[in-house]
Amino acid sequence: MILNSLVIILVSLVFPGVIALTKAKIAGRKGASVLQPFFDNIRLFRKGNVFSTTTSWIFQVAPVIYFSTIFMALLFIPIGKQPAIFSFEGDFVLFAYLLAFGKFMMIAAAMDTGSGFEGMGANREAFYSLLVEPAFFIVIASMALLTNHTSFYDLFNNLHIESQLSYLIAILSVYIFLWIAMVENSRLPVDDPKTHLELTMVHEVMVLDFSGFDLALIQLANGLKFAIYGALIFNFVLPMQDYFAAQLVFFFMVEFIFAISVGALESFRARNKMAKNAQWIISLTALAILGFLSVLIITGKIILMN
Amino acid sequence: MVIVLIVLFAATLIYFFLSERVANFIWLLSVQGALLFGIAFNNLIHIKTLELIVILLETLIVKAIVIPWFLNRLRHKNQLKRVHESKVPVFYSLILISAVLIGCFLMSYTIDNEVIQLRFFTVALATVIGGMYFIVIHKNIFSHLVGFLIIENGAFLLSLAVGGEMPFLVSLAVLLDVLIAVLVIGVFMNKVKDTFDTISASNLSQLKD
Repeated sequence: MILNSLVIILVSLVFPGVIALTKAKIAGRKGASVLQPFFDNIRLFRKGNVFSTTTSWIFQVAPVIYFSTIFMALLFIPIGKQPAIFSFEGDFVLFAYLLAFGKFMMIAAAMDTGSGFEGMGANREAFYSLLVEPAFFIVIASMALLTNHTSFYDLFNNLHIESQLSYLIAILSVYIFLWIAMVENSRLPVDDPKTHLELTMVHEVMVLDFSGFDLALIQLANGLKFAIYGALIFNFVLPMQDYFAAQLVFFFMVEFIFAISVGALESFRARNKMAKNAQWIISLTALAILGFLSVLIITGKIILMN
Repeated sequence: MVIVLIVLFAATLIYFFLSERVANFIWLLSVQGALLFGIAFNNLIHIKTLELIVILLETLIVKAIVIPWFLNRLRHKNQLKRVHESKVPVFYSLILISAVLIGCFLMSYTIDNEVIQLRFFTVALATVIGGMYFIVIHKNIFSHLVGFLIIENGAFLLSLAVGGEMPFLVSLAVLLDVLIAVLVIGVFMNKVKDTFDTISASNLSQLKD
């Protein structure tokens, strides 16, 4: 059980490095080692924090709470037949709200700085998270309906792809989850982590005032979040293996492919116009609804077979 | 297999309302044509050569290739703007089309009729409503033409829902009807563009004797 969490943590340390290396290779640069973000974090951990006089205790505790909520969420993720440390009926609701609570603290901290730019970024981040949440819940609810289970572990272990329609649902779910991961991690096409203008930033502008130890925590948490979503996608796409070693190999493969895909996507795709982000995110919910209706057809809740 | 294609068809309906680029409209119409071929082909009980040719002609050749090609030509000839924004924000349209899809699927609960094949009927109804809404929210004639073709695709699905198989002559007549309609609207659009230098339908409301 602990091994699950350990491998996800391990992946999270190199995940941002793989994305950066992919982007460098595609751009024709040599690129830094995949461990460079990890070394950067170690350097930041050795540094002290600098706090603005405008900020209060909220700003000081936010990074720790952000990191700990994501760490807690990680403990709910099973890998194949290995159960998670915490698993109970309806655990995905707590999982979602743990992530939301961490985000709420970061938003509160950004507002706490009193900067107009950070307030704007916080506003956008809150809006996009709010829009993407229905898509997450509809996909998981569809899976719950399909399997008759409501915990991550039971849900993934009872997910059998039998009919042609269930293939479609699986593809649709992975597609939606991929984009949810991108939105939740503030990456393209909703947000660009490399943007240099505060006006167009979303997540990056919120963390501008953090330094040293706190910044390292935030960056570690971001890596963790990516690895968690990668683990969820792995659970969706690969059938359960009897051997944990085989499962681990597949797990690393899926995470690696996920990281390379993110890097490739960020190299080739342009960012959405800011005003178009909301409609793009809500389209994920619309697709999730389509998946949900398909599940209703499979389970016979809607009879369409005549 | 048919149900998978129908769900994909419903997904194209969502993308119609998400996208604002003219090129995407044309591409989506082409995809819908190909999906309709798959649906109609899978729905054939006995594959007769003549029926197969008519369906192939109506869906794959006309809907998926000829009409999109003609629309593309029309687009280039009239130098249309790449983006056609609708009067209603896309955000609302997406919510509405999702609600329409849910409503149509739930409606299948209340219909207990052996004549109607519900798997086609639900999405067909959503497509017809979606096409009408598409026409209402767009200002220019080209988008109205796209909306008309969406409705036509919905009508094709409806015909499968109620008939199972349409008489061969009816299929041919519908095919001819659509082709002529597209051609006539295309010529009409060219004339409007020549006269007003734009294809916005709002100019037509100011015409007087």
